[in-house]
Amino acid sequence: MQSGDEITPKERMLAILQGKEVDRLLVSPLILNFASRSLNLAVRDFCTNGENMGNANIACFKKYRHDIVYLFSTTSTLAEAMGTKMYFPEDDAPQVETPLIQTREDLKKLKPVNPEKDGRLPVYLEAVRRCVDAIGNEVFIVPVIGAPFTTSAALRGTEIFIKELYTDPELVHTLMKVATQSVKNLIDAYVKAGGVPVTVEPVATGSMISERHFREFVLPYLKEVYAHIHSHNLPGVLHICGKTKRVIQCMAESGADILSIDNIDLLEAKELVGGKVCLMGNVSPADGMLKGNPEIINDMVKVCVAKAADNPKGFIVATGCEVPIHTPHENMVAFLDAGRKYARLPINLNHYD
Amino acid sequence: MEKSDILYRLAQSVIDMDATRAAEAAAAVIQHNVDPYEAIIEGLAKGMDKVNELFENEEYFVPEILLCADAMYAGIEALRPYLPKETTWNKKKIVIGVVKGDTHDIGKNLVKIMLDNAGFEMHDLGRNVPHAKFVDTAGELKADLVCLSTLMTTTMDGMQVIIEDLKKAGIASRVMVGGGPISPGFAKNIGADGYAKNAAEAVKVAKSLFQEIHVPLILKTSELVSVRRKREGVRCSPEMK
Repeated sequence: MQSGDEITPKERMLAILQGKEVDRLLVSPLILNFASRSLNLAVRDFCTNGENMGNANIACFKKYRHDIVYLFSTTSTLAEAMGTKMYFPEDDAPQVETPLIQTREDLKKLKPVNPEKDGRLPVYLEAVRRCVDAIGNEVFIVPVIGAPFTTSAALRGTEIFIKELYTDPELVHTLMKVATQSVKNLIDAYVKAGGVPVTVEPVATGSMISERHFREFVLPYLKEVYAHIHSHNLPGVLHICGKTKRVIQCMAESGADILSIDNIDLLEAKELVGGKVCLMGNVSPADGMLKGNPEIINDMVKVCVAKAADNPKGFIVATGCEVPIHTPHENMVAFLDAGRKYARLPINLNHYD
Repeated sequence: MEKSDILYRLAQSVIDMDATRAAEAAAAVIQHNVDPYEAIIEGLAKGMDKVNELFENEEYFVPEILLCADAMYAGIEALRPYLPKETTWNKKKIVIGVVKGDTHDIGKNLVKIMLDNAGFEMHDLGRNVPHAKFVDTAGELKADLVCLSTLMTTTMDGMQVIIEDLKKAGIASRVMVGGGPISPGFAKNIGADGYAKNAAEAVKVAKSLFQEIHVPLILKTSELVSVRRKREGVRCSPEMK
């Protein structure tokens, strides 16, 4: 598609980070496994081969010119590299099959990852390098890492793991410490490869655990992660989907500079944490991108901009969660067109009524 | 020990997520010749009702519910040998599962726990369940309700396939759907009889499906309640409008 943009996504991002004047807000649908569609690859072939993952994302960027190129297959990738067994449907994201830690005995097997060797992390690293080489001068390449709580849940099995917040907090902290070290190792490897890593912590969503547990078991480790990201002079991005009203204030205390949010009213999010963090969201992946049509999506984008474009710490037009892989091309085009139109600065939505 | 004390201890052990105390209270039920059926209904299930309420009010979350359910089932297990072999309850049968392609089953498990506690007979097919398995099981059991869950956008369309296959097979079971990407609008479009946004709501929607309530069943519970109130208001006291 012809984006009509006068500057590259990278120039735009840098200008925003440096507080300079810029043409519009960032427009960044969470294109993850959807990128496989740009080379007509089945998801399994996309996410198990670095050349494929890289090339598909390069092709996808050339097609859509979206502002951030993410590299992702599943939130359990890091747990997989630490020993959790996955199964790989032919054309869908991998899912956890057998968690590594079945008994306390298995804790002996637990060690931080070596990103150059373990699991599919080398696939991701190759994809990052390919993208950086091919399009890195135009757009930031952003590999997505499952944060410590999400990684620990995939190491232990989510249902048992969240019960152990009560029944075996010591085991939870043991897992969290090693998972946090793995996250940091992976951040270092991605940065070295030229990527700008971000973290996602969906298992800590407010649909799942209480604020009290978030503060006790999630927040301290997220703080460590973002301090580490900041030590590389990079901004911290935290994505949590599902309902986040109950935990969004904790999210804002994590040190993350940008919160990517899903099932929460943007006005409410702005009110609660807008003075502290940049917000990113939240067109519905299912009702909008997958099941909607260009007109519906146009309206959803407009509503997001109307609600949050004036967020004190900034706003990024995005989807609430991953763009479904079967999203029609015209819906993606509609999202990007609407974003480019409504998020043009200065914001003037009346202009389009 | 008074019967009321024992029932209170049963309920409280569930609310406190304490399986050990639930089993101890169940032992007291037998020791003091309390009716085990009454102990379940007026003790353990009462506790679980309170848990449901705490979940709705966002005081309890998923870990709490799972542990409360563990306590409830510890109590039920201890009482099971003393229950009459043939129960005469005419329970509504529910088939539940996570649709093919998806292995996320915590939401489904919560719904199962809550519906079980609400007095439905639960048949759990597990996760990653082939579409035909839902249809076959619903047919064999003459299920009253089929509950379909998914967390993924890639598998949600399977729900529609199942609903259509149930119709084609002439199976009269109703269908309730739920899960992360599912909206009331989607549920309506695929022809589901009910939608619930969480486990607490699933109980209300399931119950409403088997009552003579003439309101759109796809509505979220909060809306359902308001519609009911409005209708009652119109019928009983028009001046309240």
